[in-house]
Amino acid sequence: MNAPQQGFKERADAELKNAVLKIAIDRTTGNAERKRAVAVAAFPEFQAARARGRAIKDHVIAHLDHYLEMFERNATAAGATVHWASDDAEARAIITRICLEADAKLVTRAKSMLGEEIGLPHALADAGIERVETDLAEHIIQLAGERPSHIVWPAMHRTREQVAILFKEAHHPPPAADDPATMVQSARRELRARFLGADIGISGANFLVADTGATCTVTNEGNAELTTTPPRIHIVTAGIEKLVPSTAHAFALLRLLVRSATGGEMTQYTTLHCGPKRPGDADGPEEMHIVLVDNGRTRMLADEFRPMLRCIRCGACMNHCVVYRQIGGHAYGGTYPGPMGAVLTPVLDGLAQSRDLPHACTMNGRCAEVCPVEIPLPTLLRAWRTRSWRERLEPRSVRAALGLWAMAARRPGLYRLGSRIGVRALRLFGRRGWIASLPLAGGWTAYRDLPRPLGRTFMEQYRAEQARKEGRR
Amino acid sequence: MTARDRILAAIRAARPAPLPPAEAIAAEAAALLDAPESVRPRPVEAVLAAEFVRKASALGTSFDHLPDRAAIPLAVNRYLDTHGLPPALALQPAPALAALDWTGIDTHDAVAPDQTAALGLALWGIAETGSLVIHSGADAPILLSFLPLHHIVVLEERSLLPHLEDYAARMAGQPQPRNAILITGPSGTTDIEGSYVRGAHGPGFLHVLMIGG
Repeated sequence: MNAPQQGFKERADAELKNAVLKIAIDRTTGNAERKRAVAVAAFPEFQAARARGRAIKDHVIAHLDHYLEMFERNATAAGATVHWASDDAEARAIITRICLEADAKLVTRAKSMLGEEIGLPHALADAGIERVETDLAEHIIQLAGERPSHIVWPAMHRTREQVAILFKEAHHPPPAADDPATMVQSARRELRARFLGADIGISGANFLVADTGATCTVTNEGNAELTTTPPRIHIVTAGIEKLVPSTAHAFALLRLLVRSATGGEMTQYTTLHCGPKRPGDADGPEEMHIVLVDNGRTRMLADEFRPMLRCIRCGACMNHCVVYRQIGGHAYGGTYPGPMGAVLTPVLDGLAQSRDLPHACTMNGRCAEVCPVEIPLPTLLRAWRTRSWRERLEPRSVRAALGLWAMAARRPGLYRLGSRIGVRALRLFGRRGWIASLPLAGGWTAYRDLPRPLGRTFMEQYRAEQARKEGRR
Repeated sequence: MTARDRILAAIRAARPAPLPPAEAIAAEAAALLDAPESVRPRPVEAVLAAEFVRKASALGTSFDHLPDRAAIPLAVNRYLDTHGLPPALALQPAPALAALDWTGIDTHDAVAPDQTAALGLALWGIAETGSLVIHSGADAPILLSFLPLHHIVVLEERSLLPHLEDYAARMAGQPQPRNAILITGPSGTTDIEGSYVRGAHGPGFLHVLMIGG
């Protein structure tokens, strides 16, 4: 569905040359990294809470059918209609059908990455339904005709000046200045009438609470409640891995989610949506529909990517990723960027289309260190690399080079001879201790220098050292 | 085969052993909530109200401490005056608020799209996070807490709960409202360059009238 148009390398190259993007990414991820560190330091029980969070997710994943049926039973009892979708196309069809049957002209939407994953924005446009994104960042990228570049801050690739240009064109009246406060006020004014005039409100869910049938959203702006209360119909789209046994379990995960995402302790609005308007209620939708989406998740349940189902979409892995912070989210080409995206995109779009993503990783392990549910992201990325090799998706040059290396590595004599020639040959390209350019390695030396080797291999030096010691004895 | 059947069948096919009985799963789930004090933040203040005020103030919530409910209208008047707002108020249609003497303030039930100020009741406060709890209901419109620029909330000090789990415990096995909302500070956003701006879509000001002690 969301397969990238051009290659990852071309996109990453283009983004690396974008100096404004680098500033924008640094401002947001730098802030997020600092604030998370402070929040974690202020919560000495964080590591214990993290282990507990992981255990809660593992418990749900191990009993997913039990909790799905429990959730369906309780949500139905609360008056909601539960729909099931095996893939993105089924999910789009269900939502479009609800909108068309309700004769909906205007749909408001509160940010949901699952909605992006299933291609909901395009599906609504194709059905001729007007869609208004209500999260401020989603509003910005809707005006820009872009996709999210981060799962928590979808518009983090845009500077304030770039946002001002969009708002001045789209808002009536345009904002009077381009400082963030004036622009936020402008969006508030502009979107207010849309909230109240919508026929349908669509939200995602951070948690699905099995024992009550409620869906839980967390936002800081208040746009989710303004999206889900005024319209006649509220639709929730959620991945089946979002289940938790009870509200208390959701709270245990919430403590991890907020600290890991923004460095806050609690989101401004933590809302449980349980069924439609009750008889006599002062406000609320008359219908609530919940679309439970699989889209590759049951496949992950059965293979080595199962731990990825723990993910609570906090974005800490990308905030701490050296690759993400250089190239930004759009270069990844899928719905989800960064380390978690490099694991998920091959599941969603196929490994053949996205084999570059698991390779775009330095294996420094920071993502796994900060993951609030202990997902071994580097291990999962390595698993994709292994699969890519086994399925013969690696390019011929890589296969040939690795084949050559493997051949030598199995013959110690040949390997040592090769190293002896290699370190001596490399010295020919070096000046004053560094190699600044090297034939066939321009991709490396264009950005960095290589230290000039000493001229003898480790094995040669080791032998010489041993011989010297022997001589002394 | 429906999508539901396909999904459930795939989940069952991925499991090596049969599903344990529901009681065993419930016991395992309950054990994951054991020793909550080992996985949640410890309060700094010994007194619940002090901890609540500390947490909520840090997020930009302002406070006024009142001896009883009768003092509410005067406190509201003072707040509106301090902020240079007209003496008009959307009032949550709850008997406890309607019973008060609103002389001098133009109160109305309906909340306008550009409402300046509204007054509502919180069911509980949660000290751990500085959150106010509201539920939807016949006398509790949700939009009253989201449309106004200034949201004024009445909270009884005796309704304070120490932790998030204490609220979950109150609601376990009870009839659930359509919406249960934990409001933690005024609405805000960091979506433009990470700069924090108050009053994104919801209220830009959150003011708590804390009753009794």
